[in-house]
Amino acid sequence: MIKTPLCDLLNIEFPILQGGMAWISDAQLAAAVSNAGGLGLISSMNADENWLRNEIQKAKSLTDKPFGVNVMLMNPHVDKIAQVLIDEKVPVVTTGAGNPGKFMKLWIEAGIKVIPVVPSTGLARFSERAGATAVIAEGGESGGHVGEMSTMPLIPQVCDAVSIPVIAAGGIGDGRGIAAALMLGAVGVQLGTRFLVAHETNIHENYKDKIIKAKDIDTTLSGRSLGHPVRSLKTTFSKDFIKAENDPNTPPEVLEEYGRGALRIAAQEGDSQKGCFMAGQIAGMIKEKQSVKEIILTLTQETETVLKGGLQWVK
Amino acid sequence: MVLEKVVEILRNYKDEQDLEVTMDSTFEELELDSLDTVELVMEIEEAFDTSIEMDGEIKTIGDVVTLIEKAIA
Repeated sequence: MIKTPLCDLLNIEFPILQGGMAWISDAQLAAAVSNAGGLGLISSMNADENWLRNEIQKAKSLTDKPFGVNVMLMNPHVDKIAQVLIDEKVPVVTTGAGNPGKFMKLWIEAGIKVIPVVPSTGLARFSERAGATAVIAEGGESGGHVGEMSTMPLIPQVCDAVSIPVIAAGGIGDGRGIAAALMLGAVGVQLGTRFLVAHETNIHENYKDKIIKAKDIDTTLSGRSLGHPVRSLKTTFSKDFIKAENDPNTPPEVLEEYGRGALRIAAQEGDSQKGCFMAGQIAGMIKEKQSVKEIILTLTQETETVLKGGLQWVK
Repeated sequence: MVLEKVVEILRNYKDEQDLEVTMDSTFEELELDSLDTVELVMEIEEAFDTSIEMDGEIKTIGDVVTLIEKAIA
């Protein structure tokens, strides 16, 4: 049994969070993860408040366990979304793509536990000062929008910088990764890519097949020139995008437009010509499609074995 | 007064003692990204033993100086 202080803090059985992935993390996936003992998250992506309210209510009908919502702070509807979270009494909110300062006070007063995703010690300290319950320190091995730091150096430095609990993310795909994250000082982990192939995940079967087929070297970074690099599988789309990006004659607006909707196309249509299949570097470790419950049980059992085995090196 | 101190902090942060900084300098012009901005604002706050709201847009050095002046007034 893997138990950390995060379990009591978030009222969950295992210290495993499922990442909020746009066009992927919906009510069905979040509820499945929460039912399996982790903390499921719905991604509010760029959706409006009505879509989010429906998803939250749907998740409530599928689980009586706590679940959370990931808020993308650049969402144009973010003010209304912030209020829906309060109205629906969502227990946990994670934030990405921006500074949650504006909403922190509001959410904390409403009893919501706020857990910002941070790429540096500075933002971690800032979040702690603003009243965050914990932080998710995410390394650039992860899929989707990534920071510069990688997980191995980031986690211990964030742990040293703050006194609130630290959740590790980025590059964690199995029990070995979870055990390592705990050894670095984290008290929980967040996984995204591993859940892409879950039976409960509502994405095109091509997306899942691509993850299963992926090798270690099959992800790439694009969008660096736009200031927000994205890690995804190498596909025709990503190759074309990087080519356009490296061409000095391509205006940034054209690139932005090119990338717009590409994740939706990957998730819903499975089209590798036009779709951006976001995935982390652990994609190469994923060999089979499983139910969420199987994934979480496997992860916790592996973690236990690895942690117990660690003592063999202590003489 | 505030500006002088902020400039000193900026110069130390970038380790460039002859860095030209005015109220109108943007963080971008000084080659500081959003993560640097967070670091710097916290350092500046500590130096003035105060805290400023970072919920609005902070683009220029002047923005920070104005917020600090308001906070310590």
